[in-house]
Amino acid sequence: MFQNFRLTMAWLHTWFGLVLGFVLMVVFFFGSLSVFDREIDRWAIPESRFAPQPMPSFDKVLLPVFQDMKANPESIAQARSRVNGPMAESFPVVKSWSAYTTHRDPVLGLFSSYELPNAKDPEDGVFGTRTIDPRSGKSLPDDHLKIGSQFFYPLHYSLHLEWKNLGYWIVGFAALIMLVALVSGVVMHRKIFRELFTFRPKKHTQRSALDLHNLTGVVALPFHFIFAFSGLVIFGGIYFPVTHTQLEPLHEMHEKHEALETGLPHDRVGVAGPLASVDAMVAEAQRRWAAKDMAGEVGFLSVQHVGDANSYVSVYRAGTDRIALTGEGMHFKAATGELLREDPPLTPVASINTFLTGLHLQHFRHWLLRWLYVLGGLAGCACIATGFIFFVEKRKRQHARQGKGGARWVDGFAVTTVTGMLVAALAMLIGNRLLPDVMPAGWPGKGDAEKYIFWGAWVLAALHGLWRTAPVAEARMAPAWAEQCWAIAALAVTAVLLNWITTGDHLLRTLGERYWPVAGVDLFMLASAAIAIGVARKLGRRAGAPVAASTALAGERARA
Amino acid sequence: MPDAVLLLLAVAANLAGLGWLALAMDVHWEQVFGPRPASPGAVKRLRVLGVAGLAVSLALCLHVDHASMAFLVWFMTLAGSALAIAFTLSWRARWLGLLAGRLTP
Repeated sequence: MFQNFRLTMAWLHTWFGLVLGFVLMVVFFFGSLSVFDREIDRWAIPESRFAPQPMPSFDKVLLPVFQDMKANPESIAQARSRVNGPMAESFPVVKSWSAYTTHRDPVLGLFSSYELPNAKDPEDGVFGTRTIDPRSGKSLPDDHLKIGSQFFYPLHYSLHLEWKNLGYWIVGFAALIMLVALVSGVVMHRKIFRELFTFRPKKHTQRSALDLHNLTGVVALPFHFIFAFSGLVIFGGIYFPVTHTQLEPLHEMHEKHEALETGLPHDRVGVAGPLASVDAMVAEAQRRWAAKDMAGEVGFLSVQHVGDANSYVSVYRAGTDRIALTGEGMHFKAATGELLREDPPLTPVASINTFLTGLHLQHFRHWLLRWLYVLGGLAGCACIATGFIFFVEKRKRQHARQGKGGARWVDGFAVTTVTGMLVAALAMLIGNRLLPDVMPAGWPGKGDAEKYIFWGAWVLAALHGLWRTAPVAEARMAPAWAEQCWAIAALAVTAVLLNWITTGDHLLRTLGERYWPVAGVDLFMLASAAIAIGVARKLGRRAGAPVAASTALAGERARA
Repeated sequence: MPDAVLLLLAVAANLAGLGWLALAMDVHWEQVFGPRPASPGAVKRLRVLGVAGLAVSLALCLHVDHASMAFLVWFMTLAGSALAIAFTLSWRARWLGLLAGRLTP
């Protein structure tokens, strides 16, 4: 088919990279934002702008809240097709309660699950969620969307395409293609070390875009490779769901067998049982961690089979001081507080798994490393964006001569995914500051309205991008890039100003109080605005020049 | 010394190390000093300095964090430094001349 291996690789890299590149752009950009998802949450929910808190007292603070929690109406609505006969009116049997926090969370997320009567699958259930201020136990309104951790972060791995988990599959396939693109890219690139530091912004656009593509691809190559790979490992259970398809009976048997082995009951016994002091169990778990030279805070706390004689409490450690995502779980009998089990040391395979998972999910406390991850992610964005630009620059003259529209459409989609995505994200944050906390009757909740703004803004940016890239079909420059850069600058500055007006938290105050979550988001947006203005002006100057000479801006476009 | 300072030094050593390794390459040496090639001795010394810079950076990372974290920090710093050196060579190549010291032609 091709004359040699290198040409085969080039074909693979070009076409698979192009098609999946649009997905990877979204994955990389929102992955980069997810590194600071909790901080974006602070910006979006001003009531939660206080210092991170440790897990509060279960007995005094959490227990009354858990007892007050109920299954979410949406969860019940979704379960309607999963029951035989009519839906139950109430869900009195509590399967589990759990609370999860990290060293970056001021507010605490709580989760409860309930048995679903008449369920087709006896293990099925309905769920309740709540967010509280751990200092007082007071609940935050349910429809406040945590934009960072509940919208940008899931967008990174699921694209919010929930139907049949389609988003997970697309992202997984894109990650696989990412690995292929990295390998084929290395094969195509003949001078990896000789041109490691090479970027020639004064050469013509096609050359400088390729330089930047190679530079950002090669220097962050290990990062890109490991993240694409560990991402696949994390969702391995979704991509190979053997435990819930072919091997379902074996999986169930294994669970019961494991329960026998660990002494942690798999099922309720059906007899009511009391709940001893969970605070005492937490204290015991912390004492045992300290004895193992792993003193630490609680990250995850759960009570299984609530109210049953078989109930047990699991206490997991927050992994702030290591990369591997391990909990060092301690499990106690709920009725007595007696230790049932201490998680044993990991097997080598499990160690690798927890290391890769932790490396990707970053529960550790290390601000430099967090920022380096953001840099790696944005380098990935720049790499993909310059890939698009190279594709367009290489073909646009030929396509113009032949009257083909290919280069123009690619440029249009590139604008949509590179700058359009930023427009959408910023529009969402502006919506967050302008919408009232309680929406008028008949309107969607605030969180849903914010999501509509995001998608709406993205669609508008896409339409603008496809319309204003028309000149590419005549081998000229698309004005869409510069126009959307101006839009980004205006939106980013507006978001920062609105944060000041609606909450009083201007930069002088947040910096003075060293409240980095909010100051950081504001500064990041201002920096984006500054870069976007710089890029827009350079593009404007170049559009004024007779022939499109060169562009040094491809990467900045991606980063703007 | 506080960890933040040590990590800052680790980043600085990493940058300097990659800067020296870049200067050891003819193309980049000429970008900085014009068309006067470096002497073979100078190239050798630049390479040794470069490797030493990266080693010092790794040692500082290992001093601050435990091994797995330290390697990750070092590796990611390497990526950041490589970008910084490449952009310096593109826009402010002369600045790298500061690293050459007495090796300047």
